Amino acid sequence: MNIKPLIAIALGYFVVSCAPSKIVAPLEQGNWQAGATLGRPEINEGSLPVLGIYAAKGVANNRTIYGGMGLSSSLFGAMQLEGGVVKGLVAPKGWMPGYSISYGANAFMSARNGDFRLYPDAGANMYWKKGPHIAHLSANTWVDPTWFLTRYGQGQILAPSLGAGYRFRYKWLEVQAEYKLVNPSRELMVPQADVPGIAGLGGRGFYYGLALNF
Amino acid sequence: MAAAAMLTSCQDIGGALFFAGDGTYEFTNANLDTGYLVDESKIHRFETYSDSDTIQGVFVGDFAQIQNDTVIVYLHGNGPSMDNFWSSVGVLANVGSQHRYGVIMYDYRGYGKSTGTTVDAASMQADYDAVLEWLVDRGLTSDRMVVFANSLGSLPAGPAAAGNSPIAIEKLVMETPQSSADAILQDATGLSLPSSMITGYDFDLGANMADYPGALLWMHGTEDDVAPIVNARAAMSEHQGSHYVEAVYEGAGHGLRWDISTEEWIRVLHEFMLHE
Repeated sequence: MNIKPLIAIALGYFVVSCAPSKIVAPLEQGNWQAGATLGRPEINEGSLPVLGIYAAKGVANNRTIYGGMGLSSSLFGAMQLEGGVVKGLVAPKGWMPGYSISYGANAFMSARNGDFRLYPDAGANMYWKKGPHIAHLSANTWVDPTWFLTRYGQGQILAPSLGAGYRFRYKWLEVQAEYKLVNPSRELMVPQADVPGIAGLGGRGFYYGLALNF
Repeated sequence: MAAAAMLTSCQDIGGALFFAGDGTYEFTNANLDTGYLVDESKIHRFETYSDSDTIQGVFVGDFAQIQNDTVIVYLHGNGPSMDNFWSSVGVLANVGSQHRYGVIMYDYRGYGKSTGTTVDAASMQADYDAVLEWLVDRGLTSDRMVVFANSLGSLPAGPAAAGNSPIAIEKLVMETPQSSADAILQDATGLSLPSSMITGYDFDLGANMADYPGALLWMHGTEDDVAPIVNARAAMSEHQGSHYVEAVYEGAGHGLRWDISTEEWIRVLHEFMLHE
């Protein structure tokens, strides 16, 4: 059964529905950040464009809230929204890393029939900040509270991801790059397409972001 | 939901499931495997009508014998046209002995020279119904029909087996079938997302099999990366009908006949067909 590239692309958008890390190091209180993300998850021997937009605000010195929307999924009839909080636990000092945690949720709604899914998520970041340079290691997991609704019982409660990235935050500009391993706890399958992962599990790819600070 | 509709363009990928293309329809022995040739005088092209579209088909056998013979209705897979499946029809025409059974195959709309575009369950059902009505007009009855669904062909075969067939199906062969639209998306995401997030084509062969009272032969390879065996097994296991045969082959892929040998493919099929 051959499948046109479009279906692989469309399914690929969802393969990496775990979005890139929006905020790793909390913003200063009162600061805003608005940006766009471009994911390049690998599929077959290429990668796919996964587009999203987001906005974030530092509501306290160690707490930032954010909200975002997936644009690629909306092309195919699903509204994908996300929102959450990033909380700084320990500020970085010299070569000692800082730590932050995040929690939030991701919502999908079908424009066809109103089908709705909500996936809470939680994560932790370890980051180094030196001037405008921010490097980070991140771990995150989505929680699937409706795993039992999967057909043929193929669901799982947790959908973890791991990432390593770099951000250049300077005055009004932030540039982001991150490499992520998505859902390495199970095999992701797209008909007639290869989803490269780790030892046959999960997906992987680069995520990029460009944001304005104000 | 209104907000979702405003924010989404709702492009449906249902149509992208279908790999329709051109066909030349060179149905001759030159394009059949040695050992599975047919009497070329028994090759008949025909056309029928599905909604406003013309459906092209090929029948191998004698038209006059449709009211007496057993006919295998071959629902082909997702190749551009019937051309890609002509060799399988040649083999089917030699099951038991040459021309022991009639064999019919058709192109879904948009495939080969059939007009229109296959987009969803409704169009596939209409095309199937049109061909079955053509057979009804020539005297085929339920007890002499075997439906053989290859891969994509399982999509129209499922609802037909579940009771939506002009001739009730009593014997059904599912070769490397898909499972459900939901399962495809969920396998790709690892999440419980329903297929309505990307398509309106919500097929579910498991539900169809649960409603199918007749006999079922399921043929699959363990290394099928197009129709994963785990989901196909789950779908086929919902069958509670009169007779069930499972033919699973270790190491075989989606091109099952080529992987297991034509002889084995025929053996399993014919044994099933002869089962009372």
